[in-house]
Amino acid sequence: MLNLTIDGIPVQVPEGTTLLEAARQCGIWIPTLCHHESLTPYGGCRLCVVEVRERKVTHIVASCTAGARNGLEVVTCSDTLLSIRKGIVSLLLAEVPQSPVLQELGAAFGVTGDTRYTPRNDSCIACGRCIRACREIVGVSAIDFAYRGYKKVPAPPFFERSESCIGCGTCVAVCPTGAITMHDIQAGIYSRAPDGSIIEGPARIIDNWKVSFPLKTCSRCGEPFVPQAVLDHCAIYAKLPADFFELCRECRQ
Amino acid sequence: MSDATTRYLAAWKEKGITTLFPNTIKIMVGTASCGLASGAASIAQAFKANIAQNNFDAMVTTTGCAGMCFQEPLVDITIPRKGRFVYGRVTPEVVPQMIAALQHGNVPDGALLRYTRHECLINGFVKRYLTIGATKKERDVPIAHAFPFYRRQLRIVTRNCGFIDPENIAEYIAQGGYSALATVLDKKSPQQIIRMVEQSGLRGRGGAGFPTGLKWRLCRERTSKHKYIVCNADEGDPGAYMDRTILESDPHAVIEGMLIAAYAIGATEGYIYIRDEYPRAIACVEKALQQAREAHLLGKHILGSSFSCTLTIVRGAGAFVCGEETALLKSIEGDCGEPNQRPPYPIEVGLWGNPTVINNVETLATIPIIISKGPRWFSSIGTKTNTGTKVFSLVGKVQNIGLVEVPMGTPLRDIVYAIGGGTSNGRSCKAVQTGGPSGGCIPERLFNLPVEYDALAHCGSIMGSGGLIVMDDKTCMVDVACYFMSFLEHESCGKCVPCRIGIRRMREVLESICAGTATVEDLEKLETLAHLVAQASLCGLGRTAPNSVLSGLRYFRDEYMAHVHDKTCPAGVCKNLITYRIAESACTGCGVCKKICPSGAITGPRKKPPQIDIATCIKCGACLDVCPAGAIITI
Repeated sequence: MLNLTIDGIPVQVPEGTTLLEAARQCGIWIPTLCHHESLTPYGGCRLCVVEVRERKVTHIVASCTAGARNGLEVVTCSDTLLSIRKGIVSLLLAEVPQSPVLQELGAAFGVTGDTRYTPRNDSCIACGRCIRACREIVGVSAIDFAYRGYKKVPAPPFFERSESCIGCGTCVAVCPTGAITMHDIQAGIYSRAPDGSIIEGPARIIDNWKVSFPLKTCSRCGEPFVPQAVLDHCAIYAKLPADFFELCRECRQ
Repeated sequence: MSDATTRYLAAWKEKGITTLFPNTIKIMVGTASCGLASGAASIAQAFKANIAQNNFDAMVTTTGCAGMCFQEPLVDITIPRKGRFVYGRVTPEVVPQMIAALQHGNVPDGALLRYTRHECLINGFVKRYLTIGATKKERDVPIAHAFPFYRRQLRIVTRNCGFIDPENIAEYIAQGGYSALATVLDKKSPQQIIRMVEQSGLRGRGGAGFPTGLKWRLCRERTSKHKYIVCNADEGDPGAYMDRTILESDPHAVIEGMLIAAYAIGATEGYIYIRDEYPRAIACVEKALQQAREAHLLGKHILGSSFSCTLTIVRGAGAFVCGEETALLKSIEGDCGEPNQRPPYPIEVGLWGNPTVINNVETLATIPIIISKGPRWFSSIGTKTNTGTKVFSLVGKVQNIGLVEVPMGTPLRDIVYAIGGGTSNGRSCKAVQTGGPSGGCIPERLFNLPVEYDALAHCGSIMGSGGLIVMDDKTCMVDVACYFMSFLEHESCGKCVPCRIGIRRMREVLESICAGTATVEDLEKLETLAHLVAQASLCGLGRTAPNSVLSGLRYFRDEYMAHVHDKTCPAGVCKNLITYRIAESACTGCGVCKKICPSGAITGPRKKPPQIDIATCIKCGACLDVCPAGAIITI
């Protein structure tokens, strides 16, 4: 066990705990954006910065990636930290002013985005959650970052229709700003797929990865539920009878 | 050193001496990148062709860079009984004349400087060049150690640069090379080596100045089956090329340093990470590794000892951020070059999760000499907390552009004026940018500042890897900061928000200041942003990125204010804020400006001072460059 103090409170945590987890354990709120409890820490958004004092030297580190060490003194709220968080929220709000998550953070910190800067065309803040979710949770790695710096953006290889995407929508679920657009079209409706072809519903389209999938219909109620590719992917990992995948969630219950 | 090893190295040494100091005329052409860029390859070819044509007994070899990049292509000719002479800015046209002179037993005209002796720093071997046959005129050529460019320098790391053939291992061994490695393997324990490096006070030459000995000790103390040594040769600063020159001129020094480091920390594998933009350096190191392998100085059971180590070259794909150690490791592992938060430091969790020591090229090239000459000798050079020497690439608006090596703590003024010879155009010197895009600008009034890690950090700049960019009074500090910001914006990996967005915003504000559309409020905004980026960024790139802006605001605030408040650019650079005029009193009426003006904005009668039509003037500055009387002024 490691002993450290967070905002003066002595804390005992097991080895391998991050500072963010340790702080949350004692009920201290630290804002985060790129962090997701099911994903490996990334340390990109820098909202969760804390001051760490060790051997008389103070560093500013991201608490999501910094591991707890014995004898650390951690400060989670100070004037410097507050000004950093305000600055970051303001930078992001100027980029993506329409994002509810960012608006909420802006309201909490009392900052607005500077209108002199041009906002982005999309709502992506390059936090990498979608990429990590696809790699770590789904195990597909259909997407990764393309380019670097300001142009950095999650994308399928060569910005072409992703070959390995299964259309599960996990990326959509973890995206904090709603930058990934996914929609299901109903049976009998025709729509234009991202690759330009016309597809007939029931189908699922994820515009960002330029993919479309026909949806599997439930053998009992006849309602479309998930893309067949998702079921095929699940069948590899889950030892379940084949007819398990024939029913939608509601009918299975 | 065991007898067998001594004999083995002595045999190599003898071989090296025959090519280093042959009994015939020896012509060395500097073919490092700087030489090649100015046409050294065709000169070497011309010498060879002429010698073959005239059936003349002389030896032509290639060497690295002697530091005088402003005189490239350099040719170094040793003539028995006359001495060793160096020629600058040689062209293929003068080669036949030089050969003709040599054939008649004369020294070719136009020598820049001459050497009377060569002292090998490591083994103390002194070679005196006989000058009995030299005439009075030939003796009048300035001697190297009295030559202004070299007088204030102390060449330790670059001791072999421009003297040995980088592609000949025998010449390196003849200069005392690999004797440090042999001593280490035979007599010293890893702990002893680490203690020696600690006592020498050597600090990492990559820029941050972390004590090298301490880094090695911390890695040594880790109990891990695999450990790695990595040489960071991903030198990406604009205007800095120390590492490239060392790798191209003396690659074996780096290899020897790496092997000693590997032995000290307990590593058996090493990587040399060289950026792909350095093809010549990669070729030189590849050749050197192969030669070292063939000479049993690399690979299994080095010099018959139980120590084995392999070194591999990894070519970087041109990302500036890969000079940051965690990004560099990711790149070696085959991932995208993105930094990770430290701690954990690479000495704890490095390459593939194993303890890894990452040292800069220059640091590693310094190691053999510390082992050979002893830590006390090394720490007597420089200042108390900054020992040894530092190699700088002196570039920008300076007369003697080149690679200089001076003891730590040398005043900036000495480097710029005594070695660099002041500005190239006779204008007054305004500032020096140290440490590349991540460094700050140090104004002329602070030039007495000793160049060392702590003093530079105190001034709001950094040592960096050692680029010194000299700026004259025609340099606008806002424009310079804007250039560096756009460089860093392009090179930011984009992982963290402050660096990815903050630097872009800073560049936008700086652009508006240059365009004259900014307000005083924007200046405050810029300063707040700069502090945010410096404090909150993930890695060294972001944390040091605002240095050029912050040091600019600290030392040249009046210049920023002039842009924002008075809408003028005092240096006359920012196009939107200046107008070109002709000072009639100075104008000679030669009309050159009228001819050169691409937009036809300069008109007027012949032999009379012309006028510039402000509406059609595109402010290209062509007239300013061409005016022989200096009558074109910017307001």
